[in-house]
Amino acid sequence: MSYVDTAAAIELSPRARRRRLLRKRFLRRPLAIAGLVVALAFVLAAIFAPVVAPHDPSTIDVNALLAAPSHEHLLGTDELGRDVLSRIIFGARASIQAGVLATLLAMLIAVPIGVTAGYFRGWLDPVVARLTDVLLAFPFLILAVGLAAILGPSLLNATIALGVGAAPGLIRIARGEALSLREEDYVRAAVANGASDASIIVRHVLPNMLSTLIVQATVTIPAAIIGEAVLSFLGLGVQPPTPSWGVMLSAAQPYVNEAPRLALFPGLAIFFCSLSFNLLGDGLRDVLDPRTTR
Amino acid sequence: MPLLEVSDLSVRFDTDDGPVHAVDRLSFTLEEGEVLGVVGESGCGKSVSLMSLTQLLPSTAHVTGSALLADIDLLRASSSRIRRVRGRTIAYVFQEPMTSLNPAFKIGRQIEEVLQRHLDLSRAAARKRATELLDLVRIPAAARRINEYPHQLSGGMRQRVMIAMALACDPKILVADEPTTALDVTIQAGILDLMRDIRERLGTAIVLITHNLGVVADIADRVLVMYAGRKVEEAPVHDLFASPQHPYTIGLLGAVPRPGAASTTARLQEIPGRVPSLAEVPQACAFADRCPRADDLTRSQQPELREVRPGHRVACFHPGGEWAA
Amino acid sequence: MSEPVLEVVDLKKHFPVGSQLTGRGGTVYAVDGVSFVIGPGEMLGLVGESGSGKTTVGNCIMRLLEPTDGTIRLRGRDITHLSRRDMRPLRREMHMVFQDPYSSLDPRQTCGQIVGEPLRTQRLARGAPLEARIRELFDAVGLRPELRYRYPHELSGGQRQRVGLARALSVSPSLLIADEPVSALDVSVQAAILNLMRDLQSEMQFSCLFITHDLATVEYLCDRVAVMYLGQIVELARTDELFAHPQHPYTQALLSAAVVADPEVQRTRRRVVLEGDIPSPLAPPSGCRFRTRCPLEPESAPRSHEEDPPLLEFAPGHLVACHLVHAGREAPMLIDAPAELA
Repeated sequence: MSYVDTAAAIELSPRARRRRLLRKRFLRRPLAIAGLVVALAFVLAAIFAPVVAPHDPSTIDVNALLAAPSHEHLLGTDELGRDVLSRIIFGARASIQAGVLATLLAMLIAVPIGVTAGYFRGWLDPVVARLTDVLLAFPFLILAVGLAAILGPSLLNATIALGVGAAPGLIRIARGEALSLREEDYVRAAVANGASDASIIVRHVLPNMLSTLIVQATVTIPAAIIGEAVLSFLGLGVQPPTPSWGVMLSAAQPYVNEAPRLALFPGLAIFFCSLSFNLLGDGLRDVLDPRTTR
Repeated sequence: MPLLEVSDLSVRFDTDDGPVHAVDRLSFTLEEGEVLGVVGESGCGKSVSLMSLTQLLPSTAHVTGSALLADIDLLRASSSRIRRVRGRTIAYVFQEPMTSLNPAFKIGRQIEEVLQRHLDLSRAAARKRATELLDLVRIPAAARRINEYPHQLSGGMRQRVMIAMALACDPKILVADEPTTALDVTIQAGILDLMRDIRERLGTAIVLITHNLGVVADIADRVLVMYAGRKVEEAPVHDLFASPQHPYTIGLLGAVPRPGAASTTARLQEIPGRVPSLAEVPQACAFADRCPRADDLTRSQQPELREVRPGHRVACFHPGGEWAA
Repeated sequence: MSEPVLEVVDLKKHFPVGSQLTGRGGTVYAVDGVSFVIGPGEMLGLVGESGSGKTTVGNCIMRLLEPTDGTIRLRGRDITHLSRRDMRPLRREMHMVFQDPYSSLDPRQTCGQIVGEPLRTQRLARGAPLEARIRELFDAVGLRPELRYRYPHELSGGQRQRVGLARALSVSPSLLIADEPVSALDVSVQAAILNLMRDLQSEMQFSCLFITHDLATVEYLCDRVAVMYLGQIVELARTDELFAHPQHPYTQALLSAAVVADPEVQRTRRRVVLEGDIPSPLAPPSGCRFRTRCPLEPESAPRSHEEDPPLLEFAPGHLVACHLVHAGREAPMLIDAPAELA
């Protein structure tokens, strides 16, 4: 490890120094930057869809059914003459919404439960552990599909179903982190300071779990995006005519021989969207860890 | 003819942060049945240099120099050749007996495995020899304990098993890298006694790597002091402690509290500063930053090893005396 | 002596292990009846190997653990079973330095934040006065002020331990518990930290419980020493007395096992090399716990198999727990006492 010459360092405020350091680190990671750019593109496309999309996604052009890509329709049209590109852009809304909100919901459920169980232990811990074990026996998608079926088809219900479905896995992670962090000497030192459990959790446990949680979030978002596509494909999520990549995939099935692009384009959208979040998350996790040397 | 002759051994690691010169032109010899103590603090290159002898370093390591063991240059030997040397001619004992043994297999089986592979013994013969080895390292009730798993043994016992495995093929050289550091003091005494016993009974040469000067005072014949990848002093053990020459050695000796009334009043010797970065081979004395005797000469030139007394070599422009002069 | 800063009376800490449900549980007798007193400005060394319970004693006193039995009095106040809330104000009176310089500092906080935390938590200082105090503390432990903005991983092991010391001393405690503070450091760095502790202690006059396995360090720093074995104190005396006239055979074995950096001495001294392993605290031997490894066992049997020897006064201020030793009857010297070796 190189000898850091502190005398030469300019004495900035700690906040400014940190921000500068994080920015520098991030900029050294081309994959993370690419992830950020692409993810951001999808998010912006979703937000500004009415502005960005060349056509209204529901407009039917009777003269151009199943048309190949052309000047007018850059990615062609689907079986009802709707512009594929516009549907993909509007479809991003459903995917991003489901992906991000479901993950947020999962975190909001999982982190408090997991941290409480792992930090305080007691009677709550074995109960939580066994419960999550049982729930984890079900594959995530099966759980989500089951919940969505119970709740009824709609984007909101799909989001909730995905969020709840993803929670058990996150509970296990959060609990594991809390369990190991509470044994760290600096937590004991905080107890020795006379700090309350609440302040220890907020100041010492949660910040040190942050990078793990971020990684998990970035693995969950793509899973939720794909989950939304699956639910919509099965008719349990977004309802037509609202566009969604999953619905587009489902509708493309009968035309797979004639116009495989109808399945290809939504498929690529799902692929790139989830990949970009993954790469971004990997990079963020690296950057935020104070022990990273680059 | 020395048993092992190492000349100009250098090890450079290529890391993400640039090159790290872990060992810089190290030369030493080892005689048959001799106990050589290699002393230094963390990062001085003592473990790396000894591991390079049987090519145990990762591929990011670039090793130059030569290490002759009975006409074979270990550093250039083919992989099949070096595999025959490992365990058979040169055996290692590491610091952590907890993790060096495979928890899934009984200890008897692990020793037998070594015997069967290197000496081609039958299962029955290997078992017999394994029991003998456990007796040799003074594990009580060896015939029963041979069927136990590592987790059933204490740290000290596990270390003895590691030593038994190392001695299985009657190696000429036993390299022990901090063998007692992870053990309790009273257990450590037993292990050191055992190593002394082994040297006497089997005539095995031992290279003992440690940061603990007391351990070296206990069983070494000769001592090598390393700093920042280089050998800075080398002497027979009594000479080194009676009249240390290099200021680093003097500093180390003064840093350890000595039991006895005198030490309670004197202050412990502090060595200010930190070990230098190993990113470059220094053009000056590597210890200059921390040395009370540093001057223009030491800051511009690297001292070479010179013999100041018979068998006593030091790499310093101003050797001898007390810490400050 | 004036009011002691710390009084520990018959402290016990037992840990249940295994499944209590299936009945296949057991109990780890980590600390089993420990008593001692620390006066103001005094440093007591607590020495032992694995399983001796020394770290558990420290944790109980700090109330990081709740004792199973016994009493702990901090400046006259019984803190044995105080709730977290009631303990809070007393946290100003005692603090701890930990062994591992890597895990004892929160990697996500700057060193300045770490050192300031006790004062902040105890609401003793904020804002500018807090910053000033942090600077003072950094100076007192020999760290450059710029290091306040650095993260722990940017500092060396020795520097991290200084940060730990600064944090512990920030509230000016009456009692400092140091749990193996230098064991994880390089030799040359250990010396600096030990010198620092010595200086700070004589300057600030805090009492200190110094927990370690290294007898030589204890001799350098401490006024009195307690030797622990399997959860109990086997000998307690002034440092010079212990090193000149060690009584308990375990103390003698420990002293002789500690290697001395002097080949002449090390190779010619008389030593006791103990056979066998340290028994598990799950199943300590009956009677005297040391009997399974004691070189004097043939003499002390059968009494040592049945009776646990009490800690009795052998000489003023010198307590020993051994059937063969009492006032008027000294233990045989099996070793060369360190005081003679120097």
